[in-house]
Amino acid sequence: MTALAVTDLTVLRGECPVVDQVSLSLRAGEITGLIGPNGAGKTTLLRAILGLQPHSGTSSLASLPARQRARTVAWMPQNREIAWPVAVETLVMLGRVPHLAGGAKPSAEDRAATARALADMALNGFETRAATDLSGGEQARVLIARVLAQETPIILADEPIAGLDPAFQIATMQIFRCLADQGKTILAALHDLGLAARHCTRLLLLDKGRLVADGPPRDVLTPENLHSVFGIAAHVMETEHGLIFQPLEITR
Amino acid sequence: MNLSRLLGILSAIVAALFCASLLIGPAGFGIGDSISALVRGDGEAVTLVMREIRLPRALLAVMVGVSLGLSGAALQGFLRNPLAEPGLIGVTSSAALGAVIALQTGFAASFALALPVSALIGALVSVLLLLLLAGPRGGSLTLILAGIAISALAGAFLSLVLNLSPNPFAVSEIVFWMLGSLSDRSFDHVLIALPVMALGWALLASLGRGLDALTLGQDAAASMGIHLGRLRLRMVVGVAASVGAATAVAGAIGFVGLVVPHILRPFVGARPGALLPASALGGAAMVLAADIAVRLILPDRDLKLGVLMAIIGAPLFLHLIYKTRRQMT
Repeated sequence: MTALAVTDLTVLRGECPVVDQVSLSLRAGEITGLIGPNGAGKTTLLRAILGLQPHSGTSSLASLPARQRARTVAWMPQNREIAWPVAVETLVMLGRVPHLAGGAKPSAEDRAATARALADMALNGFETRAATDLSGGEQARVLIARVLAQETPIILADEPIAGLDPAFQIATMQIFRCLADQGKTILAALHDLGLAARHCTRLLLLDKGRLVADGPPRDVLTPENLHSVFGIAAHVMETEHGLIFQPLEITR
Repeated sequence: MNLSRLLGILSAIVAALFCASLLIGPAGFGIGDSISALVRGDGEAVTLVMREIRLPRALLAVMVGVSLGLSGAALQGFLRNPLAEPGLIGVTSSAALGAVIALQTGFAASFALALPVSALIGALVSVLLLLLLAGPRGGSLTLILAGIAISALAGAFLSLVLNLSPNPFAVSEIVFWMLGSLSDRSFDHVLIALPVMALGWALLASLGRGLDALTLGQDAAASMGIHLGRLRLRMVVGVAASVGAATAVAGAIGFVGLVVPHILRPFVGARPGALLPASALGGAAMVLAADIAVRLILPDRDLKLGVLMAIIGAPLFLHLIYKTRRQMT
């Protein structure tokens, strides 16, 4: 089942296309990694898919009314902003905003979703602490928990695991895996190609705004693509633990 | 602390200060006399003082305080900056400019409410200019820049008016008006300010959920279904209406919108939405208290409310900064 369809999505900055005629469709149950070098247009593409960025072309999410979109897709931006020292639980509860009728108090269902998200990110015991007092990695987990609490069929995340320790990087990818197995759709911009290779079912490779490869990790992380897009050579090996990816050297 | 309990305590403080404001004044009536005169309307002079002088004064203190506290909390929440205050978007100085032009040209003397009406027009013009300058998208940076530009321009015109004023009496009248005061106000001031302020309060009170979502930044809030452009429009018009009307009837009163949200933030768990009603009540309490204080400290010298507020507010704010600094290290 198609969860998300994008056709000919283009974002211009002045004359210059930052995202150039990208078309893709994501099915329910997929966990897709969006990869590409710095400045390839990953963030811009994700924001345009959400309708947060002026664009041409169509995106099935951008065309939804704001409130319905907020119940369809949860978005985790790259800048991890927490403006006020609010309690962790209050912050995660913000994920329930799209589900609340105007002025309504959180229901038992909202509280349960918040509690599940806190447990998923191992934040029990943190509930009443001020989110701004936590470490960077802990804040990232709180913000991921907010996204999980939104309980949407689609999750778009911009570098969700940057700054996490290895255990929480793996844990987060496993939670995404688990959500995908429940029929949700995950699209995450990732810089760690090793984690992307190992945990994603599909990779989208973006270069200078264009989608240059789309498929299972082993078909995307080819020596040619790695050389032409990232300028690196890497050791890629299929093992009993899945695909192992280790960058080796710069090729240009 | 639970929010309804906090609001209950603040309401009780406001009610107590409101009564104190009604009962304290140079005429020195007994408490019993004052209240019976207010309610029943016997005893001519007492009734006149209570109904025509003290009651509108106390009501205006509440209205001005609510406007400033609520606006400060809304602006800080929207800009995600604890240093924002209602004057930042240029409404206060523009309203003051409108009033000063009315005083200078003599228009203020042409009918009873000419002064507040001119101030409201000044506020309205500044808001239209602000919205035009800040552009259609919901960004906060352009809003701040546009606000600073408008403040600076209004301040420059204010100075120009003073500079070119041929009449020293007009200058002193203007300067005294700008210091901010609630003395010698009538029910007409209440009636002209209340509808405009009520519109502003209603707009600002509706911002709670959007401001809460903005805790996570503009992008995350937009993705959660918050329409940032509309949120900003409601915020700007709400602040302009309430602060414009407050400045129109009371002159420029600073620090309330800055300090009150700052003091109350820890009591609401820093939630910007919950801070709105708390700051509204806190602002009312602060302005009532200060307006009582100006009558007690120098009863014969007409100490201006805005002056006292700055004298109390600035050290209080410095203390808050000091406390914040200690927490951060």
